[in-house]
Amino acid sequence: MAILSINGKRYELDLPDNMPLLWVLRDYLKLTGTKYGCGIGQCGACTIHLEGEPMRSCTLPISALEGKKITTIEHYADKKVLHPVQKAWIEEDVAQCGYCQSGQIMGAIALLDKKGRPNDEDIYNAMSGHLCRCGTYLRIKKAIKTAAQNG
Amino acid sequence: MDSINRRHFLKISGISGGGLLLSAMIPFGCVTEEKELIDWEPNFFIRIQSDNQITFSCSQSEMGQGTSTGLAMIMADELGAKLEDLKFVFAPGSEEKFQHLQDTGGSNGLRMMYQPLREAAATTREILIEAAAQKWGLPKSNLYAEDGMVKEKGSDRLIPFGELLEVAQNLSAPSEIPLKDKSDFKYIGQSVRSQKSKQIALGRLPYSIDVKLPGMVYAAIQRCPVWKGSLISFDDSEARKIPGVIDVIAMEGTELQAMDYKGGVRPGVAVIAENTWAAFEGKKALNIEWNLGPNAQKSESDLKKELEESKTNNSIVSFDFKEGQASFSKGKKILEASYESPFQVNACMEPLNAVADHNGYKVEIWSGTQAPSLTRERISELTKLPPAAITVHNPPSGGGFGRRFFVDFVEEAVILSRQLKRPVKVTWSREDTIATNKYHPYRVEYWSAALDSENQPLGLSYHGVVSRPGGYRPYPYGLPMIFHNRLDYKEGNLLPRASWRSVFAHPWGLGMECFIDELAFEAGQDPLQFRLDLLDKSEVFLQKRLPYVGDDLYPQKLKRTLEMVGEKAGWGKSKEDNVYQGVSAFAYNTSYCSQIADVSVVEGKVKVHKVTAVIDCGLAINPSQVKSQVEGSIIWGLSATLKDAIQVSNGAVLQKNFHDYDLLRIRECPEIEVFIVDSDDPPSGTGEPAVPGIAPAVLNAVFAATGKRIRKIPIANEDLLG
Ligand code: FES
Ligand code: FES
Repeated sequence: MAILSINGKRYELDLPDNMPLLWVLRDYLKLTGTKYGCGIGQCGACTIHLEGEPMRSCTLPISALEGKKITTIEHYADKKVLHPVQKAWIEEDVAQCGYCQSGQIMGAIALLDKKGRPNDEDIYNAMSGHLCRCGTYLRIKKAIKTAAQNG
Repeated sequence: MDSINRRHFLKISGISGGGLLLSAMIPFGCVTEEKELIDWEPNFFIRIQSDNQITFSCSQSEMGQGTSTGLAMIMADELGAKLEDLKFVFAPGSEEKFQHLQDTGGSNGLRMMYQPLREAAATTREILIEAAAQKWGLPKSNLYAEDGMVKEKGSDRLIPFGELLEVAQNLSAPSEIPLKDKSDFKYIGQSVRSQKSKQIALGRLPYSIDVKLPGMVYAAIQRCPVWKGSLISFDDSEARKIPGVIDVIAMEGTELQAMDYKGGVRPGVAVIAENTWAAFEGKKALNIEWNLGPNAQKSESDLKKELEESKTNNSIVSFDFKEGQASFSKGKKILEASYESPFQVNACMEPLNAVADHNGYKVEIWSGTQAPSLTRERISELTKLPPAAITVHNPPSGGGFGRRFFVDFVEEAVILSRQLKRPVKVTWSREDTIATNKYHPYRVEYWSAALDSENQPLGLSYHGVVSRPGGYRPYPYGLPMIFHNRLDYKEGNLLPRASWRSVFAHPWGLGMECFIDELAFEAGQDPLQFRLDLLDKSEVFLQKRLPYVGDDLYPQKLKRTLEMVGEKAGWGKSKEDNVYQGVSAFAYNTSYCSQIADVSVVEGKVKVHKVTAVIDCGLAINPSQVKSQVEGSIIWGLSATLKDAIQVSNGAVLQKNFHDYDLLRIRECPEIEVFIVDSDDPPSGTGEPAVPGIAPAVLNAVFAATGKRIRKIPIANEDLLG
């Protein structure tokens, strides 16, 4: 039995210890905003925050997460006001298919939490683990800067 | 208790309601009936209810290319409704309603639907205006529609559409259906943000991979690693020990059909589980014996040999344009080159998946497909149930790029659901999508030119993919040209084919735009000016194939994009140290795109600094989305130019996941500037026209930088060293 704290809620889960958080979120908790893209930490689609740090949920077994604060995109979706990063994503018309974007947004929020005014190099370092097959990178870069200005 | 939670019991505290596991997600596109309302559906695109709800039923698939947004803008403008008030649903596959026009490919969605959708919306608007005219006893000419209401000109009198339905539903369409003038558009031509943008920013856009039905099980399939191989036997004892695995069953393949969008499911072994992860883990634990079949020893080098042989024996001319043959008898010199491009895979970020519920007499499907109508037809053939018994819900998908036009991944879910008699979701692991997929074919394209004694070109000769007699050949130049019969592999495909963003235009564009550059160099001319001159010598090229190729090819349109890109990118002006430019021009269907790449090559490493692109796509419905598509196309093409290849050894694909099929990343992404030609022509496509031109623009810049002609992508470092 693992006890997890996700978006401020407590979940008691009787699931295998080595089950990655990604699949608990998606297949059991209906928190499907977090996406599966590769399962090996290469694409960033499954990014969540663990104690505020961006992490790939596809490689995080639930046994390692007890007592830690987990935040998913749904945390930002359920708020009344949009996060500046979400606002900037809409303003800059970033998304195409959108499938990678929950992960990108979670990566960007974590970056801006640490660095209020990231330069290009900061953005590359933080976001290079996030693939986008539709090719929205330039707008992602722009939206992060817009969010930094407005946030 | 349902077997989904037979083994693992899940307790949730802090959330009310214990039915979480079994509750179904409301499928996108599902509209609930409200009996007491008047519910008017004047055509298949629009539905208006007496509570003023206006629903737009989008016939085309949305996979990130933005077509649904563009269509909604057209609908809102022509109907006279507020875009943000339109409720948006995706129409399930229906040939009766939309014919195969519903199936979305070839960058055709907006182009094909622009006129019919405007007419449908305008007809509805005119009926509503007529209804108001009758109600108020006023002449129609005094009334107009705006913001979901009919209004009287020059007065405060207005009435919402919903209150006109009682009258409107009994009126027939007027004979005159005026379409709005461009100056009356509120949305068309604006960079409107779509409803989808917000849903995505919230992580709430529902994809088929997110669907969960009551009683649904999760399946993963280990497909035969070699195309045309078959299953001999398997040992599932380890797989069954994995917690959550319910069953392991053999999976029969399906025959590839004459139309290769259908069939071609690889035989394999399916692991059925309580969650996706258990299915994936179970799959890894299988021990399978395959008969690897006729491709077991093959690789690309065999294909290359086959193509070379067919080229040598290929004397059939399918089309002699402007006396290409005669030009060769006059030539003093022959220049030859061949261009090689590898297998590629779409690698859509949302892995292929489908949910099917086959209950014996009816099949319900949820899948982000590009071809909902074709899918329905195929599933009807496969199950021997009438099309009316098949419902294909078509939520947005996480990228299609051609791959989701193929039906095999839906066939798998239907086959399993039929066998298991319950809803099944089949999810492809990333490894499945890289290693056992359908692929953009490996190609070699052969070009030669006859030159006069001054090295000026007289004509071209081509052996390659774009040569079918009577087929589509988007050739823009005024130079005579011999098209030889299409080159095919003698022994069939080593890997099954999928469409891959821009399809055969990619190898065609690679060869043509590199070879034209080589000719310019031989002739001692500037490559941009050389192209402009050849376009001036050309006439309108007949290529119209309704409805899929919308119009003939107008060389002057291409010329305009080329002139413009030259100006915008500062062609011929001095650049920073080490930075060189390469150019390409390309006509794709009814769109035109020219590009200039700014490139440096340092120690054999190619760096693309900037790409400037100009597109003529007719009327740009949503300029922000047009630019977005061009940016995405360039980034797509750069992955193929600089990084990715699918390689085959002993019949099996060597690449497995993103660590060895690594797409372009944000750090590698050049600056991209996109300009749109101002045009009042009907809109044409934007999802693909920029793909074929980027590799040649980069390769031509590499030549400018190094004097080396690279004729194979992705560019290999070694080829540029020494
Ligand atoms: S799914 Fe986790 S990094 Fe790709
Ligand atoms: S928006 Fe489609 S993968 Fe990023």
